[in-house]
Amino acid sequence: MIIDAHVRLGQGREVTLVADQLLATMDELGIDKALVAPDERCTAYDNQEGNAAVCQAALASGGRLLAYAVANPWRGRRAVEELARARDAGAVALAVDPVLQGFDVLDGLLDPLLAYAGEQDWFVYIRTGTPPTALPLPVATLARRYPELRFFMGKSGATDFWIDAAPALRHAPNLWADTAYAPWDTVLSEFARDPEIGTRRCAFSTDAPYTVPRAELARVLEWSTISAEQRADVLSGSVVRLLGPHAPSTWS
Amino acid sequence: MIDFHTHTPAWKSATWLAGATFGAREFVAFMDSAGIDAAVVLSHDGLFDPTPEANDEVAAFVAEYPDRMVAFGTVSPRQSTAVAEVERCFAGLGMRGLKLHPWLQGFSLHERSLDPICEVVAGAGGILLSHDGTPPYSTPLQIAALARRHPRLPVVLGHGGLHDCWREALAATVETPNLYLCICGTPPYAARRILAEAPPGKVMFGTDAGLSDKASQDYAVARVREIDGWGITPAQKHSMLVEAPKALLSGWLS
Repeated sequence: MIIDAHVRLGQGREVTLVADQLLATMDELGIDKALVAPDERCTAYDNQEGNAAVCQAALASGGRLLAYAVANPWRGRRAVEELARARDAGAVALAVDPVLQGFDVLDGLLDPLLAYAGEQDWFVYIRTGTPPTALPLPVATLARRYPELRFFMGKSGATDFWIDAAPALRHAPNLWADTAYAPWDTVLSEFARDPEIGTRRCAFSTDAPYTVPRAELARVLEWSTISAEQRADVLSGSVVRLLGPHAPSTWS
Repeated sequence: MIDFHTHTPAWKSATWLAGATFGAREFVAFMDSAGIDAAVVLSHDGLFDPTPEANDEVAAFVAEYPDRMVAFGTVSPRQSTAVAEVERCFAGLGMRGLKLHPWLQGFSLHERSLDPICEVVAGAGGILLSHDGTPPYSTPLQIAALARRHPRLPVVLGHGGLHDCWREALAATVETPNLYLCICGTPPYAARRILAEAPPGKVMFGTDAGLSDKASQDYAVARVREIDGWGITPAQKHSMLVEAPKALLSGWLS
């Protein structure tokens, strides 16, 4: 079983991905399932349009796709109402992007959304990287404030804040690593060999359409220092644990 | 194909990167496995401890295969010996450029101590390559500002802005005549846009090989293989891998 834990569907500034194209690529590469999030514009601004689109894509996929919900935290109460609409349409997790949505992970704006995610037992994808508002260690501190929630550290700080990814994962046991962009021989191997982290908290994603999905998958398939069991964790087990009660029986 | 961004092993430094030790013969074997004809080789130890010995070691590494590799030295620009060391890199060690890593080496590109160093590099017909893509000391437009102070000096953004500064890197390369861009760790969608919009002949490619915990540099091989999935034209690929780096190295490689 191979599950892609994060893809964006729609029209970005430089990229486009529609559901049929995603499913064709998944078929070609042997990726069974994927979690799909709204595109950049809909993550930043038109949350309702984006949530409707990804939930519809999930509904039409015959169980191969599941949807993330997005809501700009500056919308306050209306953001939570939007998450509820997305839940009713089938969303199973929350995705946030501090850069596109213009907040700091520690400024408190996200709190109502995280409370809602807690009520629904959703995991939370937070996109990380170089921007000061989206670094791995503040995400870990946030995760520790919500020990009952499961957090997925999108991009694992790529690239220069890969140096903070493992310390963040050690700091917050409810934080999972993302394989996207990360070479196994300089970044991922540290996660695997550290008993405090391990492959059980490391989930595969292609981060399509920003990447070459074949290359992202090949890096995990060719990761030679992990066992078959550990690879299965990375390719599906970890994201199933992130999904918790929302993981369909066909995804295990 | 020319790989414009590779490293020697970290022979002496304990870094956050695992880092395998390998010799020049093994490195050329990696280059052969990836289809790389020639490489620009930068220090690894020197990024953490920019000593003359680190430059000696890069020069010795490259000297085993002078037709396949060219060496760039490095210095800490605040050291009183920096200008003399850069002169030695070119005149004594036969190096072709200088690599700076401002956030690792701890200086701002606006510091005037860089000016005499850049004058030496320009006078020797050399190239300046800087790490970029990382605030606070390595943003593309900070490097472009240095390039504007030294218009005769070819300056290369070593990572094309990485994930969060690549648009800035592209804009800087468009508006700065002597600024070039090396796609190295830059995400594929950004590479595609950079190659479509950058001025012709200003974009190179690098793998960052040398940082792996295996001498075979598997991630670097994967980065070369990934290019075919970027969605670029054959002409863009040829320019990036062959024409642009060859022109910039201006005859130093056969």
